Amino acid sequence: MPGIDECLLEAMRLPGARGAALVDWTSGLALGTVGESPGGDHETTAAEAAELARLAAEHGAFASADDPGGERPPVEDLIVSNRDSYHLLRFVDTSFDSSVFLHLWLARSDGNLALARIRMGEMAQRLVLG
Amino acid sequence: MTVVDTPPPRLPVRHRAVAAERAWGGVSPMLTRLAAEQATGVLVRERGTLYLDEGRVVHAESPLSPGLDALLTANGTLGADAWRDALSRADDQRGAAHLLLAGGHLTKGALQLCHLSAVYDAGYFALAPSSTPGRFRYGIAHRIGPVLPVPVSALERETVRRRGLLHRIWPDTRADSSPLVRTYATAAPRLTARQHALLELVDGTRTAPQLARALGRQAFHTLVDVRRLVAAGLIAPRQVPEREATAPAPALADRLAHTTDPHITLLKRLRDALEAL
Repeated sequence: MPGIDECLLEAMRLPGARGAALVDWTSGLALGTVGESPGGDHETTAAEAAELARLAAEHGAFASADDPGGERPPVEDLIVSNRDSYHLLRFVDTSFDSSVFLHLWLARSDGNLALARIRMGEMAQRLVLG
Repeated sequence: MTVVDTPPPRLPVRHRAVAAERAWGGVSPMLTRLAAEQATGVLVRERGTLYLDEGRVVHAESPLSPGLDALLTANGTLGADAWRDALSRADDQRGAAHLLLAGGHLTKGALQLCHLSAVYDAGYFALAPSSTPGRFRYGIAHRIGPVLPVPVSALERETVRRRGLLHRIWPDTRADSSPLVRTYATAAPRLTARQHALLELVDGTRTAPQLARALGRQAFHTLVDVRRLVAAGLIAPRQVPEREATAPAPALADRLAHTTDPHITLLKRLRDALEAL
């Protein structure tokens, strides 16, 4: 049964993974971090990623149609790409009230975005459901 | 006439790095000292309690934030019976957290996630500026047992960051503790589902911490939404009734107790530190 650290270490085993974190998007707090982070500061990265996640989660345009006012996170994941890396933010659906996502930073040269997206979805589920 | 040409003694110079190190007593100098001596026990402060194990925060509680049990039972993640049962069977070797995991009531990830959230949430209130010094009792542990310990410095940094976050949304702190009433703005922004649910419960008597408990949400998350709704003009802290407002002494003490004025909080920290010596 994975805890937060085991889950993040598993994310780091994905090809091209440079860093991973579990972040609360209301407060911007990093609940767990492993590996590197852009700029070298996990706390700043978490706060900035949380801003992005909050915007996506709160704007109706990005919500799925089947659960408009629901308790579940309206967005599954967010992908940001730049010239040398990918950022994948996967929202975690918990049965208790929370606002967290998994953040994976992938090197573009050897990262596989499709694989990472599938694995992060599985990890987000296993983290809370076992 | 003799001329004195001995140069005057050099004035003492404060090294900036050293001075900054000394001046940063954190949000609670007593807590910083306890972390440095790797103390185990419980720190009782005005608005909350921190449990330390070898200088690290292992649990936190505050009357202003819903506890781990409230967060877990509000949406049926955990039955109230399962929680009570685990707490009553917990002993020194196996804490309630261990028993909940062993009994298959929760997964490790869910427990760690919820517990960490609850610790930072209660810690935010426990480390709020206080008007009385904290008390520390050595050797006391919480029945929850070890989950994920948090370094004192991380909790302090996060608390200071959270204060700044709320201040940037809306600087008036009255909405954090006063009963809230609905107001009607002409150009209200579109609300999120979470804000709608919160707004539905605003009834002129409940305060933000009470709303958090009713919704089973973290108190800080609720404060963020409350300040955003106040900023949008949709809710407001209820005006204090006339007779309370005219009693000058409690009003002043109350104002000072809830102030975030940096000068006053500095003086309070200074006083706390002197009393803790």
